[in-house]
Amino acid sequence: MASILTTTKPADAAAPAPAIDIRFGQVGLIQVRLRSTDPGAILDELTGRVASAPLFFQRTGICLDLTALGRDPQLEEMRVVMDAVRRAGMLPVGLVGSSAALEALSAALDLPVLAPFRPQTQTVPVVQPAERAEPGIPALMQHQPVRSGQRVYARSRDLVVTSTVGAGAEVIADGCVHIYGALRGRAVAGARGEASARVFCQAFHTELISIAGVFRVFETLPPELAGKPVQAWLDGDDLRFAPLSS
Amino acid sequence: MTEIIVVTSGKGGVGKTTTSASVACGLARRGKRVVVIDFDIGLRNLDLIMGCERRVVYDFVNVIQGDCTLKQALIRDKRLETLHVLAASQTRDKEALTAEGVRRVLDELIAEGFDYILCDSPAGIEKGAHLAMYYADRAVVVVNPEVSSVRDSDRILGLLASKTQRAEKGNGGVKEHLLLTRYNPRRVASGEMMSVDDVKEILGLDVIGVVPESPDVLAASNSGVPVILNDESDVSLAYDDAVARLLGETLPLRFLEEPKRGFFSRMFGG
Repeated sequence: MASILTTTKPADAAAPAPAIDIRFGQVGLIQVRLRSTDPGAILDELTGRVASAPLFFQRTGICLDLTALGRDPQLEEMRVVMDAVRRAGMLPVGLVGSSAALEALSAALDLPVLAPFRPQTQTVPVVQPAERAEPGIPALMQHQPVRSGQRVYARSRDLVVTSTVGAGAEVIADGCVHIYGALRGRAVAGARGEASARVFCQAFHTELISIAGVFRVFETLPPELAGKPVQAWLDGDDLRFAPLSS
Repeated sequence: MTEIIVVTSGKGGVGKTTTSASVACGLARRGKRVVVIDFDIGLRNLDLIMGCERRVVYDFVNVIQGDCTLKQALIRDKRLETLHVLAASQTRDKEALTAEGVRRVLDELIAEGFDYILCDSPAGIEKGAHLAMYYADRAVVVVNPEVSSVRDSDRILGLLASKTQRAEKGNGGVKEHLLLTRYNPRRVASGEMMSVDDVKEILGLDVIGVVPESPDVLAASNSGVPVILNDESDVSLAYDDAVARLLGETLPLRFLEEPKRGFFSRMFGG
């Protein structure tokens, strides 16, 4: 994905309005991963692609991915490659790679280095460390009751519910889950592995609590916790529960 | 300003159709122009409860599909002249309903000048139930004081707050009311049934009425006379109170206690 600069028309000399607006946008970009720098082969294959769907490919912006070459290409090689790409009908607008030589190429070819992207088919590793929320970003707030069958997920932050969580409902957060009401459904904190996350509620009637993947189902509620304000946290591999009021 | 009220529950058999019929009559008795529509395509019973099952010529699906005009399908109640019934089809199923078709019929009813359009929802959360609630301004959620009914009503409340036109457009949301039916004070006292407070705590809503369990309801269905028209029944009084509260009156809840038996009836086992 690339960011794009938008420009407005140049202002009148008399008016002091700015000549441009800078905004961040997102576009999808085709990535052309080079396996060789043979210009003839590149021209043939790309021409074939463009011919197969001319409306889609003709004069479309592409970024050149050099990571599969296994070596740093020379500047002259790249000039020839780019010429072939243009003759096939595509327009290179960026380079993708991770080597130090890329910066020099980028400067010489006058193309930006774009961050590599993951195509849809690549699987995401199962366990990911939780992203640290930026300081100052508040928790996800849920003021309406969470009804049976509903699910609320707070990504990369805490979840605060100022009403009840019904039986059969799920409240999930990468951070902590705070429920200023009864918890009758499921609460999942530290959903992406943050082991210090906690669950807090004002009336403990829960079906299931999970913190960083360690969960406990409550077939019966322990009498010292049932209906009371309770917090749950992870101590090593064990879930611990305690009444909140002292 | 026409108001569209859906009578729904999630759970089956809790008293939606009984409630739709009685609330419709209660509103009509107070002079309002009311139409009650059966959305349970294929399993219709509103016409039975209203006592007009032998007068159904055209139904809701016929109107949607343009086989007849709306006027031809509306059945005027013989007891209350401002009350009309739009029956469901018995031969089709819910696939015959479409959102645009329902919208057209509702618009036509609004143009006819009805004060209230009551939508009697089928049980469940599928297409019939979804379309019955989709265009509603208000909802009466019928609940029995027992766990599975309460759980299903919670689900329905979630759907009312998210999958209705008012929720999607953000213009106020559907106004939700809870109606507790089949309430048995003796079983509540013994702990077998949930109390009004239990239900209010779990669902987070006040009740618009408590209707006691009574054999009068079955007698009413059998005779095709909505139970609210039976002046001697506690159920009738409870429904009338609920209608009054729907119209904005504040009334204390009745029928929460077991009726006290007098000395003589206890002596003589009456």
